[in-house]
Amino acid sequence: MKRILIKRGTLVLVDKGVLADRDLLIEGNRIVRIDRGIQDPQAYVIDASGFLVGPGLVNMHVHFRELENSAGGDGLLAEMRAALKGGFTTIVVMPNTNPPLDEPLVVRYLGYRCREIGLVNVYPAGAITRGLEGQKMSEIGLLKQAGAVAFSDDGKSVMDSHLLYLALMYAKYFDVPFILHEEDISVSGEGQIHEGAVAFRRGLKGIPRVAEDSLIARDLVIGYYTGARVHFTHVSTYFAVELLRWFRDKALISADVTPHHLLLTEEAVDREGVFAKVKPPLREKRDVEALKEGIRDGVITVLASDHAPHKGKSKEMVFSEAAFGISNLEIAFPLYVKALVDEGVLDWVGLWKRMSLNPMQVLGMPEKGFLAEGAEADVTVVDPETEWEVNIENFESQGRNCPFNGWSLRGWPVYTIVGGKILMRERSILEP
Amino acid sequence: MNDLKWAHRHLLGISDLSKEEIFYLLEKANDFRNFLEKSPKRLANLKGYFLVNLFFEPSTRTRVSFEIAAKLLGMEVINFSTSLSSVQKGENLRDTVLTLSQMKVDILVVRHRESGLPLYFAGFLPFHIVNAGDGIREHPTQALLDLLTIKRQFGKVSGLRVAIVGDITHSRVARSLCVGLVKLGNSVVVSGPITLVPRSIEEVGAEIVFPVERAVQDVDIVYLLRIQRERQEAGYFPSLKEYSIFYGFDSKVMQLVRKSFVLMHPGPVNRGVEIASELVEAPFSLIQEQVTCGLAVRMAVLDTLIGSD
Repeated sequence: MKRILIKRGTLVLVDKGVLADRDLLIEGNRIVRIDRGIQDPQAYVIDASGFLVGPGLVNMHVHFRELENSAGGDGLLAEMRAALKGGFTTIVVMPNTNPPLDEPLVVRYLGYRCREIGLVNVYPAGAITRGLEGQKMSEIGLLKQAGAVAFSDDGKSVMDSHLLYLALMYAKYFDVPFILHEEDISVSGEGQIHEGAVAFRRGLKGIPRVAEDSLIARDLVIGYYTGARVHFTHVSTYFAVELLRWFRDKALISADVTPHHLLLTEEAVDREGVFAKVKPPLREKRDVEALKEGIRDGVITVLASDHAPHKGKSKEMVFSEAAFGISNLEIAFPLYVKALVDEGVLDWVGLWKRMSLNPMQVLGMPEKGFLAEGAEADVTVVDPETEWEVNIENFESQGRNCPFNGWSLRGWPVYTIVGGKILMRERSILEP
Repeated sequence: MNDLKWAHRHLLGISDLSKEEIFYLLEKANDFRNFLEKSPKRLANLKGYFLVNLFFEPSTRTRVSFEIAAKLLGMEVINFSTSLSSVQKGENLRDTVLTLSQMKVDILVVRHRESGLPLYFAGFLPFHIVNAGDGIREHPTQALLDLLTIKRQFGKVSGLRVAIVGDITHSRVARSLCVGLVKLGNSVVVSGPITLVPRSIEEVGAEIVFPVERAVQDVDIVYLLRIQRERQEAGYFPSLKEYSIFYGFDSKVMQLVRKSFVLMHPGPVNRGVEIASELVEAPFSLIQEQVTCGLAVRMAVLDTLIGSD
């Protein structure tokens, strides 16, 4: 069986909290040895001098738009290639696909198609409610049986408190986490961007923080009361961080952010127009600072990305009619390096842990997401120093809706190894 | 035991009865159960007494069981259901039962969707009242018939371990049975969808165990509850299909239980939902015997209450 030897790299041991200069040997789909000076003449050798070698990156918030081939190409394949390019070996797909992931058959189909394509590990998040309509609970047990690892109505909130309460209670039986998009639509209404100076100046309807904060407060209480596992995704406000901090030791809660909420504020709308239109909206400096503080002190334990590709014309229209969302899957890691490592919020180990071990723990797979002898050989190699420019023309994703075009970033993934197979080498995807 | 002085005018709930009183009723009911094997089986114990069945909820088996029990004891029976009554015309419930009292009936068997209604009646009506199920509170004759069935099967009704599975929250059957079993020294585990298993049941001495597969291991009795579609419509679980797969009793769950276990259900059964159809009449099923024990228990209750006059 072919072996892969990664030599002279700096290993990111996220479970031990250290960097260590070690070689790493892969055989089949397992890491078989981690040691200094491993020799193996038969192995394929990756010279990782100057590189960081860590567990495969995990992104627990990714959108696929379609499950079937359409005129625009194969959406699944494109987004899985984008994940590989971004160094992600595992992604969680939100259920607002077409068709939505609210039926066991559809969830099975997604799993089947992704295994057939055979690039990254794709875990579906099942819908909390049928059709993501917030009216009736989905078949949570059957969806889990079909492969769903978490539940979410992402893109929408479950506005009916009693329904969410029952769903959280019910789902405890199956020990699955809920990933909650928090937005009170009766407050956000037709809002386009954050309710602040830019919205005022441009005459756009605003989305106030309270739309997010009020639901986070409600769901912290419901989560606390039910004892369910609740994960708050794409948190964006300073007060949300305060609320999470207050509950962190009381309930089984966790939270993630996106890179764009750390790097951009509402002013980005002036520069980038519709490319900076996203939910929750880009906020203000005080929110960004609070999010960073939340990451620093462990209130926010996961770094995701809310990759939302929109192909074609969905962004080429008047602001109020353009779709919400940013395509960022292949640049998420370098963006986080800029937002957090360069700013001294996290070191490399801290960053990597929030993008590997921690999301796996939230998903109930604590045995995954770190490098160890015997572990699955999902490995990402990152060049921590070389700067490259973001060029949306080179995106694998079908979505080019990205406000970071032209940014110079460091910390790019250079190898992605999934299940012992090198699928991305020197920033190029190898055909499977 | 038989010289116990019966101290209750009504049978409103298992909670009101002492352990000795439950044993007293079970012993008498056991005699009636043996008697039911004989023919002719008409007695004259309560000849000349009048029983009114007042059912505000649809029921066949409980109402008919009371009717037959009363008739076997020689009583006259009047069935009074809401569709025929002036309650439909808007007559006040209190006035309705006061009218009945003026007709000098001796015992009123009442079922109503309001928890506590029989207690309310007991506060001002001059005759005996038997609770045939009030809301989600109590169903004492069901619990007694279950205990009698268990006693006859195991030769005892203490020291056993019973799993009650299903909609505990809305089940008066589960409440009464749980209280009765614990009172007699049995251990009770409850399971089902978490939305239908109230934490507060621990206060009456039951243990909550998830998942169902674990709850049914090492028990003497698996007691399944009827699942009503309206609970699904109210959002407590997503579908009957999911219910049957994760909480239903089928051949897969059968692999996990003791060889000596028995299966019980208050009926009527939803075949293919809480229980696989082929298991309803299996040798380990006591579902049919429960019906006959129900008759015996109701005879014992009527005989005891009127006999205490």
